[in-house]
Amino acid sequence: MQSKIIQLIGLGVTIAYAAFIVWLYATEPRTFKELTSSAEVAAGTYEINQEKFNSALNLFRREQFRAARVEWQQADPAQRDARTQFYVAYSFYREGWGRLYFDQELFKQGVEAVNRAITLSSGSTLTIDDPDLQMHTAAELKAELEQGLERSWSDVNPLKALRTRK
Amino acid sequence: MDFVVLPFVFLTVALLGGLRVGAESGTFIFIAPPLVTLLLATLLMLLLVRGGLVRLHQWVGSDFPPLTNVAHIWMLITIFFASAQAFNSVLPERGLLHWMFSFFFLWTLWNNQFSSFDARRLLRSLTILFGTAFVLKHLLLASLYSPEGSWLKRVAGALVQGVAFGTFDAPPFAAVTGYIAFFTLALYVGGLILFAFAVNGETTVVIDPVVHDHQQLSAAERPAVIQD
Repeated sequence: MQSKIIQLIGLGVTIAYAAFIVWLYATEPRTFKELTSSAEVAAGTYEINQEKFNSALNLFRREQFRAARVEWQQADPAQRDARTQFYVAYSFYREGWGRLYFDQELFKQGVEAVNRAITLSSGSTLTIDDPDLQMHTAAELKAELEQGLERSWSDVNPLKALRTRK
Repeated sequence: MDFVVLPFVFLTVALLGGLRVGAESGTFIFIAPPLVTLLLATLLMLLLVRGGLVRLHQWVGSDFPPLTNVAHIWMLITIFFASAQAFNSVLPERGLLHWMFSFFFLWTLWNNQFSSFDARRLLRSLTILFGTAFVLKHLLLASLYSPEGSWLKRVAGALVQGVAFGTFDAPPFAAVTGYIAFFTLALYVGGLILFAFAVNGETTVVIDPVVHDHQQLSAAERPAVIQD
């Protein structure tokens, strides 16, 4: 009887170990820190660093977009918070926006970030109640970023110089 | 042993076999086993059965309790993935060298299918096979592609002048990757040795000295001995 229990426990432990290995290869953490973040996400205990988030928001409002993104990266290292990813995308939009042209590289990164935000908020519409922003949903932001990436004859319209940043 | 230790050893090989450490960033890079390693692992499993290291009839059958059958099948699965990852750890990641190494592994394993093996010879042969591949990849090739440059790089540069080095392109990894690969392969071969003793019990096949001597002769010499 005792040997049967040992067999069962052994089998259970090794199957759990195998599942851990499969999870490691699926999530591909690059550092031990990322590994712990991924484990927290898997366990449902992941939380962003609110202090860093607020500090990034202050930088964002002062138009220091790159510095804000660095802070948000530290606040949400696993990129698992929809709200943070929305703000990251917004910072790409604001930095890449120009009266005469849009920075394509920054807009592309913005689309990636907003897609992450949409995926993370699956099931409900992501809405951010921030009076400082003119776009409050991820869908609006995504549409704006994608529009900026499209090329058309209307790009040469001189009246476009009168457009405003959202 | 066969329910905890051995699956744990083989699963650790499966974990470490695809682990690399980036040269510049120092971050982990997990490389899932390429399709060809699964093919190589299948051939190796056949070889393990043919060599008597895995005795299927003693392992799985209606005579055993279901739990034992499940545990033994699980052990076979862990050996299979450990084998695939052991190959993964000694295969160059991409380029022409990846396919050259794969071809040589396939060739060796395919030839071995038609050779006579016992468990001990098979273990020896596998140790040599993985040892050679380790030396080639983690010592010679790593030296060839080291960012600092090495004597080997200069010699190879002189020998293959005119051949684009891009053909032999390989991603640079930190030196610790070689240590991980060495530990992985040692664990794999050690696991197989443990397995041979723990699960199969007596692995040494006791044979008559006359038969043994006969086995040492070449194929051409054997008919002459039989005629005498």
